[in-house]
Amino acid sequence: MQNQPNMRGLIGSMSDEHSSWPEWVYIGVVVALLCWVGAEAWNVERLVEHVPEDAEIIKVVGQQWFWTFEHEDGTKEVGELHLETGKAYKFEITSTDVNHSFNIHDYVVLLDAVPGRINTVWFSPTEAGEYDIQCREYCGLIHYNMRGKLYVEDPS
Amino acid sequence: MRYIIGALVMMAVMFTVNVAFAATAEPGEYLDRRVEIWNLFFRMMVVAITIGAVVSGTIIWLIWRFRESHPNAKPTKYEGTDW
Repeated sequence: MQNQPNMRGLIGSMSDEHSSWPEWVYIGVVVALLCWVGAEAWNVERLVEHVPEDAEIIKVVGQQWFWTFEHEDGTKEVGELHLETGKAYKFEITSTDVNHSFNIHDYVVLLDAVPGRINTVWFSPTEAGEYDIQCREYCGLIHYNMRGKLYVEDPS
Repeated sequence: MRYIIGALVMMAVMFTVNVAFAATAEPGEYLDRRVEIWNLFFRMMVVAITIGAVVSGTIIWLIWRFRESHPNAKPTKYEGTDW
């Protein structure tokens, strides 16, 4: 019983011998990393969301179970979209029935189509070719086949 | 505290440089969102894997070094007694 440690004495002796600088270095590194990760993500989001002023607006409407596109000149397309390389396009995306999600996988374009709301996303195609358009929000029986085709062509 | 302040100042400088460079893009040249988004993803993965390696390495070293059977192990005041 004589050797039984006194808790206060134990904590006191521990804190007397204890150096706290590793903890401060650890906290500093963690805070710095969090700041860096947050700043990087915020900056990339800012860059990606900044729509060029000369971007052509394309109205995108999702409905069960196909996509409709309307160009600035009034041209409409259903299930396919024709664009040109080297130009910027801003999609104004909405839905007429349930939630959908507009996705061009190869160009990392992904945004929800929500009834009564217009969501915007922009991109600029760089390579001519055919790319898939796909609904990425389960929207009913034929969701799996709510697809479209993006045709990117070089400017004529 | 000096470390925290130093790190924060460094972050602020890096961020300002980033923003300043990003603002000088030529008109008519559009950024490629694929590149930006995937680069961010890879940078974040590098950070995540590095932190994971450092943290798990530290834990493994700690367990190895401070085991009772380590040749340099020294009993603390509250070990090796009959209490």
